Amino acid sequence: MSMAKPNLEAREKILAKLRGRELVNCFQCIKCTSGCTALKLLELKPHEIIKLVNLGFVDELPSSDIIWTCVTCLKCVQRCPQKASPYHVIMALRNIAVEKEAKVPEGYLKAVSQILETGLIETPKKIVTRKMETVDRDCLKLPKINPPKENFQAVFTKTMEEK
Amino acid sequence: MDVWLMTRIGVYVCHCGLNIAGVVDVEKVAEYAKGLPDVVVAKHYTYMCSEPGQHMIQDDIEAQNLDRIVIATCSPRMHEETFRRAVAEAGLNPYLTEIVNLREHVSWAHTHEPEKATEKAKALVRMGVAHARLLEPLEKRKVSVEKGVLVVGGGIAGIQTSLDLADAGFKVHLVEKSPSIGGRMSQLDKTFPTLDCSACILTPKMVDVAKHLNITLLTNAEVTNVKGFVGNYEASILKKPTYVDAEKCVGCELCTKVCPVKVPDRFNENLTEKRAISIYSTQAVPKIATINPDYCLRLKYNKGVCGKCQDACEAKAIDFEQKPETVQVKVGGIVLAVGSEVFNASKMAELGYGRFKNVISSIEFERISDASGPTGGKIVSPKDGKTPKTIAFIQCVGSRDKRFHDYCCRVGCMVTLKQAILAREKIHENVRIYVCYVDLRAFGKGYDEFYRSARDKDIDFIAGLPSEIHSAQDGSLCFDVYDKGTNKLLEVHPDLVVLGTGLVPNNDLGNISALFHASRSADGFLLEAHPKLRPLETAMGGVFLAGACQGPKDIPDTVAQASGAAAKAIDLLSSGEIELEPLKAVVDKDSCSGCRICESICPFVAVEMKPEVVDGNERFRAEVIEAMCQGCGLCSSACPTGAIKIQQYSSRQVLTQVQAALTETCTEGGK
Repeated sequence: MSMAKPNLEAREKILAKLRGRELVNCFQCIKCTSGCTALKLLELKPHEIIKLVNLGFVDELPSSDIIWTCVTCLKCVQRCPQKASPYHVIMALRNIAVEKEAKVPEGYLKAVSQILETGLIETPKKIVTRKMETVDRDCLKLPKINPPKENFQAVFTKTMEEK
Repeated sequence: MDVWLMTRIGVYVCHCGLNIAGVVDVEKVAEYAKGLPDVVVAKHYTYMCSEPGQHMIQDDIEAQNLDRIVIATCSPRMHEETFRRAVAEAGLNPYLTEIVNLREHVSWAHTHEPEKATEKAKALVRMGVAHARLLEPLEKRKVSVEKGVLVVGGGIAGIQTSLDLADAGFKVHLVEKSPSIGGRMSQLDKTFPTLDCSACILTPKMVDVAKHLNITLLTNAEVTNVKGFVGNYEASILKKPTYVDAEKCVGCELCTKVCPVKVPDRFNENLTEKRAISIYSTQAVPKIATINPDYCLRLKYNKGVCGKCQDACEAKAIDFEQKPETVQVKVGGIVLAVGSEVFNASKMAELGYGRFKNVISSIEFERISDASGPTGGKIVSPKDGKTPKTIAFIQCVGSRDKRFHDYCCRVGCMVTLKQAILAREKIHENVRIYVCYVDLRAFGKGYDEFYRSARDKDIDFIAGLPSEIHSAQDGSLCFDVYDKGTNKLLEVHPDLVVLGTGLVPNNDLGNISALFHASRSADGFLLEAHPKLRPLETAMGGVFLAGACQGPKDIPDTVAQASGAAAKAIDLLSSGEIELEPLKAVVDKDSCSGCRICESICPFVAVEMKPEVVDGNERFRAEVIEAMCQGCGLCSSACPTGAIKIQQYSSRQVLTQVQAALTETCTEGGK
């Protein structure tokens, strides 16, 4: 096993993205991991992410798959006794991953481009009623959804850049 | 008025190691002081409070004939007394010493601005010298003290303090809010780390309190008012009615058998019910019945109904006409031993306390495990009364949690170890025991050995806390917990979950703190005068602290602190008189107009209006009762004619300092 080398500069970059430094207060009570919704699905261990960031072992994190498995249920934010909130760290890591142009799961990229184009997270879909008829918004005489206004894309892109 | 006697002042600047000298250029400050008016000597030294430092001052007083001393050092709260003593030893009146605070007020406050800090230090020294020139010699006052002590709270802390004081010959008034003394400790089953039964070691002490000729026990009572000052307090104690004549009741419990009204049993943490007339607990002291007026039909509704207890009582002790009574006591000192409360775990919704019957707090486990408790000492799950096959203990509930209490409860780990051992001993190998913890703290004498003995007993320690407890469809409990050691997610199905609930400040600690002028620290507990050097006292003279009201504590620490508080009270009161600071208000009778403003605002009732006949007319003049005056200065600020002033802080003395502060700083001194 090779010796791990902390990267304190990269660690500071992550801390700078957070609103406070509560992260360093984590005393590894493991509550976040015990209750993590994504742990059961995809082996995300929030307490490990916190400890890795605190010790500066952060080089692998932005390019790792695990930061993308968080389903943002926010249980860890609610219950962390030290307000160290693994969720915010994971979000910071995701933003760094985008900045570094690391591999981002396709679903996320699709969602972003869809929001840019339509202003919607989900586009309206056709549904099947109880009478087994397939209907869409037009059949139901619902108003048309307008595409976002001109400056929406500019504001949206700027927000992403700033973060 | 700018005429004063020539004085010879010595200025001493302390480095305080690097505490002051690391920021302030002490050499420059001393050099600057040499140029100030009347300064004969100015020196700097590493530690002025040390023996060589004190000698330096004493030698200079003799050799240079100094008559005023200015010491630029730490806060006067720290070493003013030290330097006054040193000055007095050299034959100078100790009140001719002026302390300038260069540490808390300068170096610690302006760590990153050494140059500005040095300028500020010079200004403060200049003000100190200006004040020193006008200091007057004063003598300490002596007042006689009451040789009694008021102890508030009858838990183990109050019991120990009372017994120690009473054995030393002091009269003790022990006030307890509940109908019986004993407090939290009387609710416990066994005690860590020796596993001796709580009742076996506590009950004899409770009886000793009741029997001791020097102790007046006031149960079902509360202190409602406190007046006076160190050595001479006067307290009003409200004795709430018990509706039972304490002289006649023999504790036979015939009344409790006939009373038809059921009431939650507070002693058993509301796990069972008792009757509206009841005895507090099996080992209650005093063992007399008490009627709860909130539930009793006769007291709550009307005089015609029920009265069954009155018919059943052979001793004719029931007295529905009993009224509240106020007792006045005069004491020299007060010991606050009001204890703490247990964290209400229903605030931590994710653990389901209050929603799931089989999730209980650690104090409830004590009652279930105790032989005098609702199950006769058999450990069962409250929901079905069956012996649990799996018990899970969860640590740090309400403590070390920024949402609730930041501090460590200091007893939770040891309580859980003890309860886990008790469960193993009572249910043998038929129970699986999990302890979910963050850090296991076993820090006291014999505590880590106790931890090891728990590990010997096959208890599963899991380094991790569950996030939530939920109930399965069949009503059974379930939680997931990730174990750091094995990197596995465990699914636990406990029949009983015991929450390691911490200790929190009493609900009425706010009232108590206001009543006794005892401040509270950030954690909500009562604040000691100094965390290391004066842990048993409050900042209020003659008011001492014992037990968990000062911070969460286990029994050994509580008893140690209680004996310490008793010793402190004995130290204060044993000689029959105490010395008071001489700084007090004095009245210039000729300028007093008799307006009575000072009398109306004095918080210590230290001003009296005395009649005087002038040119055949009677008029009133203010007079200060020396023993009562605390030198707070309120009267002096309010007096419209300037007739009443505080020694060393007269308008002239203060304004001279202000003038010195406003004089521009110049390197060759403030001439």
